[in-house]
Amino acid sequence: MAAWVKGQEVGLDAAVSAAAALLSSARAPIVAGLNAELSAVRAAFRLAAETGASVDTLGSEGTYAELGALSRGGAMTTTPAETIGRADTVLAVGAAARSAPLIDALRASRPSRGVAAGAERTLLTLDTAGDPAVAVATLRAYAKGHLAGEHPSADIARALFAARFGVILYDPAELGEFGIEMLQALGRDLNESTRVFTLSLGSGSQDRAVVPLSAWTTGQAPRVGFGRGLPEHDPWRFDAARLAASGEADAALWLASLPCERPGWLGRLRTVALLGEGAAAPDVAEIVIAVAVPGEGVGGTLWDEGRAAIAYRPAAGTSALPAAAGVIEAIRRGLASKEAA
Amino acid sequence: MSVLTLRGAPPERLDLNGITPLALSLLSEAEAARLPVGTSRRGLTLGDCFAIRLDGSADLVIEGGHERLDRVGGGLSEGTIRVEGDVGQRLGEAMAGGELTVSGSAGPFAATAATGGRITIKGDAGEAAGGAIYAAKAGLDGATLVIEGEAGERLGDRMRRGLILANRAGRLTGARMIAGTIAALSVGDHPGYGMRRGTLLLGAHGTLTPTFVETGHHDLVYLRLLARSLSRLSPAHAELARRPLKRYSGDLATLAKGEIWAAA
Repeated sequence: MAAWVKGQEVGLDAAVSAAAALLSSARAPIVAGLNAELSAVRAAFRLAAETGASVDTLGSEGTYAELGALSRGGAMTTTPAETIGRADTVLAVGAAARSAPLIDALRASRPSRGVAAGAERTLLTLDTAGDPAVAVATLRAYAKGHLAGEHPSADIARALFAARFGVILYDPAELGEFGIEMLQALGRDLNESTRVFTLSLGSGSQDRAVVPLSAWTTGQAPRVGFGRGLPEHDPWRFDAARLAASGEADAALWLASLPCERPGWLGRLRTVALLGEGAAAPDVAEIVIAVAVPGEGVGGTLWDEGRAAIAYRPAAGTSALPAAAGVIEAIRRGLASKEAA
Repeated sequence: MSVLTLRGAPPERLDLNGITPLALSLLSEAEAARLPVGTSRRGLTLGDCFAIRLDGSADLVIEGGHERLDRVGGGLSEGTIRVEGDVGQRLGEAMAGGELTVSGSAGPFAATAATGGRITIKGDAGEAAGGAIYAAKAGLDGATLVIEGEAGERLGDRMRRGLILANRAGRLTGARMIAGTIAALSVGDHPGYGMRRGTLLLGAHGTLTPTFVETGHHDLVYLRLLARSLSRLSPAHAELARRPLKRYSGDLATLAKGEIWAAA
């Protein structure tokens, strides 16, 4: 068992009790990170609802760039597996897409099924020096025929129109909402005469699994607040980094049973940190509880990047540490006694 | 004149949507004091945060602003609200008429979805003033927004109609505009990114995107009418409309029915 309160090692029950006391006394707590198996994320939403907390997820910058464009005009999307199996033309937009591991897999194979089966695969890159959104706009202007003449974007537009199964690969955090909206509009233009999809690179965190969970739990995307009883969605107000920097948040629960980068505010804000085995250390936050890592010490439902779906990952071994969901439930049960006291 | 006096720095964000002269004129001071404005579980009311003096008039003054006062003037349809200080996000959201003045600065999304009336910010405005909030179809939608200081990025993002005046503005001014008019004495890079229709009148500007093309110098009656219209709000902006101007058409990545008039 590994749990610490203010740097001192304590038993799990004592850490849970201290966490319940901290969160129940807070005016505006935040529940953030959510880089964990879905059972833990689900428990975190329940805890947020009972403490009047607001919720945010790791990777939400890219998530909201995607969701903003999606809400505006929809999206034509595909998966990495479909891209490897079917795409005869792939355009990488931006630095992250050009260096993605998927590019190596695409280079080493050719489409094996669908309309382009057996064809040579063409890999293209869009130079996005400067603002990537501007490069995408320029490409779309050439694709629409509003700009004409010799230009690298004109060549790319021709190649995309000639594709039988085209895929445009991009990193949402790099491209931003404006660039993604423009890219999806380009996809619509191309699909008037051929078949082109978009594929956004994952952030490496669980935000893509959190989005549907948040939707089926609250009817909203992840940045919701429960301060007024019902879930309110406001991506600006419930941005965890903004809440911590402005001093509006006075306590936090950071959930990261999977390895990830920690935010700078973790040491400054009174925080309960649930960290996976190996990442937990006494000085990370005021209260630290080590939990089992999903897919290693405990089974868990996680985002599967290759299949672009939520899938169960069984435990590879065993762990003496508790699962995060159980710890959060214990904290939630502890709230009632703290508030009654 | 009714007066709300802020008792001190709010301990949490307050939501003042619907706190308008018309709404308050129907309430006693005791009833107004019970209006919920808090955003946490503590259930703060108007009376917890403000000293309230009501006289049933169409003029309301909020003494002592703060950047945690959200949606000030939200839903205003008639009368005036004057804020002595700063305000938070969504100043005048969905306002339909009347006049709203802030002596300090405003947070993001000022005048979002406002369909009528005039909003004046004496200080600076945050990001996306006159712009759309997440997933909304449009930003400013018919009202007039005057920013006497500096506006942040994305001024007028996805605005649908109305007029925005700013002294200076950040990058991406007029991005994704559906229609309407923005006049600014200077803006940052990439004004009009993704705009479909609408007019930008700019003094100095940063880099234009390659998807705007110059269409020459023009002497149009429209510009003289625009100058006359602007002179009622800001002589400096009216003077800009009378200067020699170059016209750029765009954004060619979209419908391309927008225009940028830039000082030659």
